[in-house]
Amino acid sequence: MIDLLATHYNYLVYVALVGIGLYGVTASSNLVTKIIGLNVFQVGIFLFFVTSGYIQGGSPPVVHGHGAETFVSPLPHVLILTAIVVGVSLTAVALALVVRIYNAYGTLDEEAIREVQLND
Amino acid sequence: MSAVTAELAVVLTFSVLTALAAIFLRDVLNAIIAFAAFSFGIAVAWLLLAAPDVALTEAAVGAGITTVLFLVTIAKTVRPSGERLFEPIEWRSVAVVVVLAGTLLTTVRSLPAVGSPTSPVATSRITEYYLENAYPETGVENVVTAVLAAYRGFDTLGEATVVIAAGLAVLLVLRQEAYV
Repeated sequence: MIDLLATHYNYLVYVALVGIGLYGVTASSNLVTKIIGLNVFQVGIFLFFVTSGYIQGGSPPVVHGHGAETFVSPLPHVLILTAIVVGVSLTAVALALVVRIYNAYGTLDEEAIREVQLND
Repeated sequence: MSAVTAELAVVLTFSVLTALAAIFLRDVLNAIIAFAAFSFGIAVAWLLLAAPDVALTEAAVGAGITTVLFLVTIAKTVRPSGERLFEPIEWRSVAVVVVLAGTLLTTVRSLPAVGSPTSPVATSRITEYYLENAYPETGVENVVTAVLAAYRGFDTLGEATVVIAAGLAVLLVLRQEAYV
């Protein structure tokens, strides 16, 4: 178990972040905290990808035409760069919807919104 | 010798603690500040994992733009606050999280060790192809940029489309507001 901590720590942190994110999405009744949970979940996945391409002692993949050094794999970095930008777009749309929901219901609490909907 | 250095372990532990704070803090403004700290910690972790491009994007987009978006949102809405500093624990959600985390944990042991030079990603033909041919074929020294803008250029075009679609969606959703 201690051995696993030393060699697979990044993967344990990825599981922890995914768990914390899922908890935020499901447990919080505040809509803004739910979106924070979504972002934490997403970063957990990013950590999994970037760690998978990492090589101990590897340099960032910036080559100078001569290849004697070890470089880390560039492909996970590219995928995650795209995912970060898509993630922020998603967050922007979600937060815009939150502002609209607040204007319509006057609250950001999930339970309160459900009550207002039932009363209509 | 372990591949997980002390610096990386400290930064990742800091990220987990700030993530927990961001979820459990009751006051949304406090949660947003904790989330910004979390993004910053993760950006440093990318740097330690030899991913400077991802670190720059995370610092600018994750810690920067996302935080501003959250702050604008709470400026336009409410900030629930009370006597309690933290939210009480929701045990039904804990059960769901335990199931998911337990399932994922069973797979962790089968993954290659962090930083292993023989991991499938490190020894993949695609990785070797990009590292060997990116500079001769595209003339770009940074392989990440070469892949992003040349080899996977259509993918990046798709990404730009997503950003435009998101911008249009935000404008449509907030259409009737005075500030659009």
